[in-house]
Amino acid sequence: MLAAALLALAVLLPAARALADDLPSFVHDGQLTLCTNPTLPPMTFVNGSDTNALAGMDIDLARRLAAYWHVALIPQTMDFEGLFPSLSAQRCGMVISGVLRQAGRLRNYDAVAYLDSTVVAVARVGTPKIREMADLSGQTVAVQSGTSYAAQIERENDRLRASGRPPIILQQYPTEDQVVQQVLIGRVHAFISQDVELYYRQKQLGGKVTIILTPDYPDFHQFAVYIRKDSRDSALLQKAIDELSQKGEIAAMAKKWGISGDHQSVFTERNAPSRFDFATFFGALFSTAFLKGAALTLVIALLSHLTAIAISIPMAMKLNGRDSIIRRLLGLYVAVFRGAPTLLQLLFIWNALPQFFPIFREHWFTPFLATWLSLSINESAYQVEINRAALRAVDPGQVLAADALGMTTAQTYRHVIFPQALRIALPPTINEFISLLKTTSLASVISLQELLAVTQIQVARTFQFTEYYAAALVYYLAMVFFFLFLQKRIERRFIWADRNKASADAA
Amino acid sequence: MQLSTSPDPTARISIRGLSKFYKDYLALDRIDLDISKGEKIVVLGPSGSGKSTFIRCLNRIEPHDSGVLMIDGHVIDDRTDLTALRGSVGMVFQNYNLFPHLSVLDNCTLAPRLVRGITKSDAEATARRYLSQVNIAEQAEKFPIQLSGGQQQRVAIARALCMNPEIILFDEPTAALDPESISGIVGIMRDLADQGITTVCVTHEMGFARHIADRIVFMDRGAVLEVTPPEEFFTAPRTERARTFLAQMIRH
Ligand SMILES: Nc1ncnc2c1ncn2[C@@H]1O[C@H](COP(=O)(O)OP(=O)(O)OP(=O)(O)O)[C@@H](O)[C@H]1O
Ligand SMILES: [Mg+2]
Repeated sequence: MLAAALLALAVLLPAARALADDLPSFVHDGQLTLCTNPTLPPMTFVNGSDTNALAGMDIDLARRLAAYWHVALIPQTMDFEGLFPSLSAQRCGMVISGVLRQAGRLRNYDAVAYLDSTVVAVARVGTPKIREMADLSGQTVAVQSGTSYAAQIERENDRLRASGRPPIILQQYPTEDQVVQQVLIGRVHAFISQDVELYYRQKQLGGKVTIILTPDYPDFHQFAVYIRKDSRDSALLQKAIDELSQKGEIAAMAKKWGISGDHQSVFTERNAPSRFDFATFFGALFSTAFLKGAALTLVIALLSHLTAIAISIPMAMKLNGRDSIIRRLLGLYVAVFRGAPTLLQLLFIWNALPQFFPIFREHWFTPFLATWLSLSINESAYQVEINRAALRAVDPGQVLAADALGMTTAQTYRHVIFPQALRIALPPTINEFISLLKTTSLASVISLQELLAVTQIQVARTFQFTEYYAAALVYYLAMVFFFLFLQKRIERRFIWADRNKASADAA
Repeated sequence: MQLSTSPDPTARISIRGLSKFYKDYLALDRIDLDISKGEKIVVLGPSGSGKSTFIRCLNRIEPHDSGVLMIDGHVIDDRTDLTALRGSVGMVFQNYNLFPHLSVLDNCTLAPRLVRGITKSDAEATARRYLSQVNIAEQAEKFPIQLSGGQQQRVAIARALCMNPEIILFDEPTAALDPESISGIVGIMRDLADQGITTVCVTHEMGFARHIADRIVFMDRGAVLEVTPPEEFFTAPRTERARTFLAQMIRH
């Protein structure tokens, strides 16, 4: 019995060892981390109103790879532009997000192809077919930003210019659904995408658009898994994909998501309702996804602003004080953080900071913390100017009087200066807060699931722009009006500053 | 009157060789002065002569650079407990400097509660007593902005009184007031003297100075040139500088 167990162990141990040896270096601690931008059905998207429920061909493949290596899959969602910086920052081990295998990207990353695909140019139904891309000369074309279609069109344009013809006018949008929407509303002539996307979107797009060209670009034929450069990792990944492919598993996934070869059968009659759909609107309005998104927006804005106020009060006092090294450093701080775009600061903290300090790569540094950190720092640079002006507006005679009464500096600030400065600072501070509330929408680039990110993910799934945008608008407006109301309520407490109001109040 | 070279510990305030610089500008030039309990001193002098600087040295809102300042026998220097000093030396300003965000009553109770640790009800009882002494008890719940200048200045005096000071310093308390309000303040300052409170008052009002002062201190360019009773100062000033000063004041 014991001998049998030992024997089993002796057989199993080397097998377990071999398994560990076969793991790529980006798989560790029992986890395979994935970066994806879930706005490209059927490859990667959110199916249903729960924004955490990722679905699609890419997600299935990632899950299968995790199972293949006997580890757990940890997906992270973010904007398309954030995918490769996050891979470089070691925030995730691989990118699977409907990204094409292309020579340009291979300079910096390794890629293993898993699915064949074709580029398509799509326009509104009734638009005549064209023979080559050059026929789009002078027309406006939309693509998703961060994709390589833009570079391809630039090459087309170089040829057009050389032959003296007007170039193709390019518009880039952060999500694929917005790209499609430009065609639907007639702003642009056509959009460029992959055929697989169209197979899936036929439910939403059926009868509205048509393929006008399938250009033959050599570099646009395969979807690939991207990893950081490492020949051993690359070989191990290739081996895994080859095995899955041989077993027919990849073909099964493609079939499951409706990715199959016939373009023309895609666009049949079917007319989607084009009027405002109140059911969808109210459904979105009262969905937990929107409630959660709005709550997150509110919480991150409140936390960031409170932190900003807390750090900007001592900063303002120092900046109003005597010249010193600290004062100059603070001046520099304010200039830098007011000067740099907030979006850039967010991206810097999320994607660049981990390259200097590996600690920011760890799991505790969530998008929430990163947003809190960068919005607090950014906002404090604005709030400090409000605080400075408010503190300066308090009559110096007030300090003199408090001093003459024997009050300490702390007592003077607490009971004399701050209450008076608050009245002056309140209206611009509420304004700042309202502006910050809307700035939080930028955090979708680092994958924070705030209100606008939730909205975009829902739009990508359903294509019902108007309804979801309207629901988001209702939330933003409700929050803003609430804070304006709050401001009015608080201002009523400042009757001491207005002779007429004070007298009216007494009467 | 000739003063001894060392300070007099029996005087309420005793000053010897008091000097003060702003950078290298001599704002106070070796001032000698003794002030006794309950005395009403008025400080006169042209603009920029250092009157404000002088009285601000007395509660050390401006620290002096050399010389000796002694209050009730205690030397005032950088080791002095400022809270205690400010408690016994109150101050009233030209622009009242009331706390605009607090009611009249709270203006009077804030410092006693914070600095002296007196309970709210005790502080309010004291405040109401002093507010009625300056004839303004019925305004206790109002905010400063709702009061006239004269009323505000009376609140400022009540606020100073609430700390139970032995000395009150006034820096041009009537400069922003109409004649009627001024006479109200004169009455209040007389009452203070009757209570044994020493007052040192900077003013440009000659009539006010004449009515109120036990002694006039005349300053010019940071130095004290004359210390005389008012009748003597206004009828027979001893220095040429005081004569020209008075001549200008009468002409204006
Ligand atoms: N904080 C300061 N820093 C530098 N110089 C000062 C300061 N305060 C006062 N001075 C200067 O000291 C001199 C005396 O000023 P002070 O205010 O004591 O004059 P004053 O007699 O009260 O004048 P006024 O009648 O105009 O109130 C003036 O020349 C003034 O410019
Ligand atoms: Mg003065």
